[in-house]
Amino acid sequence: MEYALVLFCGIIAIATAIMVVVSRNTVHSALWMIGNCVIIAALFLLLHFPFIAILQVIVYAGAIMMFILYAIMMLNLRHSDDSADIAGNISMGRYLILALFFVGVVVLGIGFGPMALQGSMTEPAMMKFGEVELLANYIFSEGLIPFELVSVLLTAAIVGAIYLAKKD
Amino acid sequence: MADHQNIYLLLSAILFTIGCGGVLTRKNAIVVFLCIEIMLGAVNLVFITFSRANTSPEGIFMVMCVMAVAAAEAAVGLAIFVLLYRKTGSINIDKFNLLKW
Repeated sequence: MEYALVLFCGIIAIATAIMVVVSRNTVHSALWMIGNCVIIAALFLLLHFPFIAILQVIVYAGAIMMFILYAIMMLNLRHSDDSADIAGNISMGRYLILALFFVGVVVLGIGFGPMALQGSMTEPAMMKFGEVELLANYIFSEGLIPFELVSVLLTAAIVGAIYLAKKD
Repeated sequence: MADHQNIYLLLSAILFTIGCGGVLTRKNAIVVFLCIEIMLGAVNLVFITFSRANTSPEGIFMVMCVMAVAAAEAAVGLAIFVLLYRKTGSINIDKFNLLKW
C-alpha cells in the first residue's frame, strides 16, 4: 500500500517537474513548480517527517513560489521574446552528458545505501519525544554555529536584495 | 530503516537530472531559476531519505539550511532579475554575456 503511494507520488513529481521545464508560459512553469513542491512535501510525509513536510509547504510552496510569481508579475514578460526561449539546436552530446550524469548520480546514491549508522532518531525515540524535539536538541547543541550563520546569511540576503532592487 | 530507500534515491536522481536538463536548455532566467529549485528539492529528498535510514538528525538540519539558502537565493536572484530587466528589457540569459570571454 505504502509502496504504491510512494510510486504514485514519485510519478506525479516527475510529471510536474517535466511540465515545469517544457511549459512555454513562465507563469504556468511557476504554477507547476508549486505542484512539485507540494508533492515533495507529500513524499516527506511518507518518510514520516511531518514537520519538514509542513516546512516545505510553508517555505517553498508558500513563500518562495509566491515571491517568484510576484516577480513575474512585476517583470511583465509578455513583451519579451518567447519564440527563442527553448534553445532550438541542442546537440545530442548535451543529452548524452545528461544521461551519463543520471547514471552517475544513481550509482553514487545506491552505492552509498544505508550505512547502518545509528543516530538519536530511532523509532522509539521518535515515538516518545517526536521529531521536533530531537531536531531542536540537535540544533541547539551541535548545530548551533551553522544555525546562527544561516541567520547572518538571511540578513545579508535581505540587505543585498534591497540594495539591488532599489531605484538608483 | 527506510522502507523503500532505492525508490526515493532513484526519484531524486531523476528529478535532479530533469532540473539539470532544464537549466541547460531553457533561456528564460526565471525558468532556469525554477529548475534550480527542482534540483534543490531533489537534494532535500536525498537528505531526508538518508536521515531516515541512519536515524540521524543531521540530514534534517541540512534540509532546513538548504531551505534558508533557497529563500536567500530567491530574494537576491529575483532582485538581480528585476535589475537586469530594468536595464535591458529582457531576461533572456543568452543576452547577458558581459562576463563571457
